[in-house]
Amino acid sequence: MNSSGRRPVVDVAYQGGGVISAAEKVDRAKVLQKLRFGDTAFRYLTRAAAIAVLVILSGIIVSLVYGSLPAMQKFGFSFLFDESWNPVTEQFGAIAPIYGTVVTSIIAMLVAVPVGLFIALFLTELCPMWLRRPVGIAIELLAGIPSIIYGIWGLFVFAPFLQQHVQPFLITLFGPIPVLSNMFAGPPYGIGILTAGLILAIMVLPFITSISRDVFEAVPPVLKEAAYGLGCTTWEVARYVVLPFTRVGVIGGVMLALGRALGETMAVTFVIGNAHRISGSILAPGTTISATIANEFTEAVGDIYTSSLILLGLILFAITFVVLACARLMLMRLNARLGK
Amino acid sequence: MATMISGASSPLYAKRRRKNVITMGLSYAATAFGLSWLALILGVLFYEGFSGLSLRVFTEMTPPPGAAGGLLNPIMGSLVMTFLAVLFGTPLGILAGTYLAEYGRYDKLSSVVRFINDILLSAPSIVIGLFVYEIMVATMGHFSGWAGAVALAVIVVPVVVRTTEDMLTLVPDTLREAAASIGLPRSLMIQKVAYRAARAGMITGVLLAIARISGETAPLLFTALNNQFWSTNMNAPVASLPVVIFQFALSPYEDWQSLAWTGALIITMAVLALSITARFLGGQSKKS
Amino acid sequence: MSMATFTVPTVAQQSGNNDDLVEKVTIKDLDFYYGDNRALKNINVSLYHGKVTAFIGPSGCGKSTLLRILNRMYDLYPNQRATGTVRLDNDDILAPGQDLNLLRAKVGMVFQKPTPFPMTIYENIAFGIRLYEKLSKSDLDSRVQQALQRAALWDEVKDKLDANGLSLSGGQQQRLCIARTVAVRPEVILFDEPCSALDPISTAKIEELIDELKEDYTIAIVTHNMQQAARVSDFTAFMYLGELVEYGETTRMFTAPSDRRTQDYITGRFG
Repeated sequence: MNSSGRRPVVDVAYQGGGVISAAEKVDRAKVLQKLRFGDTAFRYLTRAAAIAVLVILSGIIVSLVYGSLPAMQKFGFSFLFDESWNPVTEQFGAIAPIYGTVVTSIIAMLVAVPVGLFIALFLTELCPMWLRRPVGIAIELLAGIPSIIYGIWGLFVFAPFLQQHVQPFLITLFGPIPVLSNMFAGPPYGIGILTAGLILAIMVLPFITSISRDVFEAVPPVLKEAAYGLGCTTWEVARYVVLPFTRVGVIGGVMLALGRALGETMAVTFVIGNAHRISGSILAPGTTISATIANEFTEAVGDIYTSSLILLGLILFAITFVVLACARLMLMRLNARLGK
Repeated sequence: MATMISGASSPLYAKRRRKNVITMGLSYAATAFGLSWLALILGVLFYEGFSGLSLRVFTEMTPPPGAAGGLLNPIMGSLVMTFLAVLFGTPLGILAGTYLAEYGRYDKLSSVVRFINDILLSAPSIVIGLFVYEIMVATMGHFSGWAGAVALAVIVVPVVVRTTEDMLTLVPDTLREAAASIGLPRSLMIQKVAYRAARAGMITGVLLAIARISGETAPLLFTALNNQFWSTNMNAPVASLPVVIFQFALSPYEDWQSLAWTGALIITMAVLALSITARFLGGQSKKS
Repeated sequence: MSMATFTVPTVAQQSGNNDDLVEKVTIKDLDFYYGDNRALKNINVSLYHGKVTAFIGPSGCGKSTLLRILNRMYDLYPNQRATGTVRLDNDDILAPGQDLNLLRAKVGMVFQKPTPFPMTIYENIAFGIRLYEKLSKSDLDSRVQQALQRAALWDEVKDKLDANGLSLSGGQQQRLCIARTVAVRPEVILFDEPCSALDPISTAKIEELIDELKEDYTIAIVTHNMQQAARVSDFTAFMYLGELVEYGETTRMFTAPSDRRTQDYITGRFG
C-alpha cells in the first residue's frame, strides 16, 4: 500500500493525464519558432554590449591622442622633460607634474603597504572572531569615503596639523644629516608633496588591506597548520608560509593600489600646493598631473594650453594603464596557481 | 609542575619570541592607526558639517559670498545626473556582464573584455572627464548636464559589469540545466531564472556604483561645469554637490567653507547609507 | 580491451514476449567525445514507451553522459560532441538544425540534485506551462494542480502554493521538479540518479511515482543503486568504461546475465 495513495486524476479540467495531443505539439513548435528571433536578438545584444566596453576604452585612447596632437606636434618628446609651465608664452612641460605624481604615489606606497599588510595580518591571524567583521567593515569604510572629503579634510585639518607639529619637527630632525636635510628642508608650508603623499596613503590603505586579506585567507589551512605544527610562531608562519604563497597576489594588490594613487585627483588637488616646479624638498609644494588638469582645464585659453593638458592626461592614462595591466596579470597568475 | 620542553629557554627561542611579540604588536598598532584615521576624518566631518546643517541647506540656492544660502541646486543637479548615469550605464553594464557570464563564458572576446573592464574600473576619473569633454563638450560647443551624466555613466559601467558577471557566475549550472530541460530558450532562461537568482547581488552592484559616483568630482569639472542658479536645462552647465564643495572649500570665504563641510557631510552620509544597504542586501543573498 | 562489433540483441528477440513494444527512442552507433577523449563507444540501445529502462554501471562508465545526450544537454558546453544517430520517433535528434528547445520540451529531465527555480511553488510549475500555452487563470490553476497530483505532492503543498520552492524538504523539492517536468507534457522523461541525494522514505515515494508515471511516458533512469534498478525498471542496460556491455529485461539481467562483466558487477565483484 503506497502512502501517497494511487489516485485517479479526477476533477481537473484536462483528462488523459499529462499526455499531449498532436495538435498541441504543433502549437508548441510554433511558439518556440516565434521565440527564436527574440532569443537570437538578445544574444547579439549582450555581445554588442561587451564590445561596447572595448569601444569605450578605444574611445578614450583615440580622443586623448586626438586632443593632444597640437601639443605633441609643437613640443615632441621634450615635453616630458621640460619644467616650464607658462600659459603666456605657451611653453609647457610635463616633468613637474610627472614628478609630483610619481613621488606622492611612492610616499603613499611606502606608508600604506607595510601598514596595510600588518592590518591584513591582524585581521586574519590575531583578531578575535567577533571583532573581525566590524573591523573589516570599518577599514572598508575608509575606501568608501569620497576623495573630495579627503581633500577638504586634508586642507583644513591635516595640513595645518602637519604644518604646526610635524613638519618643524622633521626639519630640525633631519637638519644635521647631509642628504636628508635637503629632502626635508623648510619652510613648513603644511601643504605640499609630503602632505599629499600621506593623504594618498590613508586613501589607498583600505585597498591594500582588503586585497591582502583576501589572498591571505585563500591560503590552504593545511599549509599553515603544518608550520604551526613545527612550532613556528605566528610571525614566522606569516613570513615563511603565507607571504611567499601569496606574494604574487599581494604584489598585484599593491600595484592596483598604486594605479589608484597615481590617478587620484581631488584628495591631492587640495593639498599639493599647485606649484609647477620640482623642488628637492618633499615639504615643498608641487603639482601632480591630475591636480594640474583639475585646476587649470576650465581656465585654459588657447589650443596649445588645452592640448598640453590633454597630453598630460594621456601620459597619466598610459602610466596607470601599464600599472593596472601588470596588476591584473599578477592577480590572474595567483588565481591560476590557486587552481581557480 | 611540568618541566618545560627542552630548548624553550634557549636564547634563540627567546629571540624568536621577541620578534613575534614585536610584529604582533605592530599589527595591533597598524590596525589602531588605520582605524584612528577613520575616526578622525568622520569625527571632523560630522563636527564641521553638522553645525551648518539646517533646513535652509535643502531649500535655498547657493549664495554669493557673504550671503546666507543653501545647497538646493547642487543637490538637485547631483541627483538628476546620478539618476541619468545609472539609467544609461546599468543596462549596458548588465548586458555586457551577461555576455561574460553566459554566452561568452569560454571565448576569447570575454577574456579581453574582462581584462579591459578591470582596467577601466580603476582608471583615473579625470581622464574619463577629458574623454567626455572631447566627444561631447568640444563637439557640442558648450558644457552640459548631459555630458556630466555620460561621464558618470562611463564610471558606472565597469562596476555593474563586474558585479553582474560575478553574481551570475555564482548561479549554479544545475539551475541552468533545469531551465533548459523544460525547453526554455537561452535568453529566457537568463532573464527569468538566472537574473532572478542573482537579483539581490545585481542590485547590490548598482547601489555600489551609485555610491561610487556620488562622490566623484573630477569627471564633472569640465563636463557639467557648475551653475550658480537653479536650472532645469540639462543642455547647459549644471551644478553638482562635489563641484560646489570644491569651489567653496578653496575659496577664502568662511560661510562658503561652512557650506562645503555641510555638503561633504551630506555626500558621506548618502554614500554610507548606500554601502550599508548594499552590504545588507548582499548578506541576504548569501544566505539563500 | 573492448570487444569488436558486439551487437546487442533487441529485447523483442530476447524475450519472445508478445507485448506490443513501441520503440520510442532508438540509439544507433553512438559515440561521444569530451574534446579528444572518446567517452562513449558504439552504443546501440532502444527505449520503449510505457516502460522504464535503467542504466547501471560503476562510476564513470558513461551512463549519465548517455542520458544527457537524449536531450542534448551537452550542447550547453563547448568541446563536447556526439556522432551516430539517436531517433526520437522518426527524427534524428543529433542532426544539425534541430530545434533544441522543442526537443527538450519533448524529453524532460529530473536531475540528481533537486533544483527548483527561485520562485513560488505555483510559479515553478506554471512557468513551464506559460512558456507554450496561453491559458486562463482557472485553466492554469487546474494544470498546476494536475501536475502536482501526478507528482504526489498536491496534498502536501495545496495550502502553500505561494511559498518559495526552496522552502520544501529535499524529497518534496525533487517531487516538485518532477511535477515541473510533467507539467510541460513531455513524451520521454529522463531521471539522472534522482534519489541519490534523498533519504530512504523520499526515495520510496519517488520510485512509486516512477511506477505510476511510466504508463504515459517513456522513462529512462540512471542509477548507481542496483536494487533500485531491479525494483523500478522493466529493462536494464549495464554499461562499463563507455560501452554498453549488456541489455535486456530486468529480471533476466539480474538472474541470468550473459556477459561475465555484468555478472561480476551485479554480484559485487567490483563497483
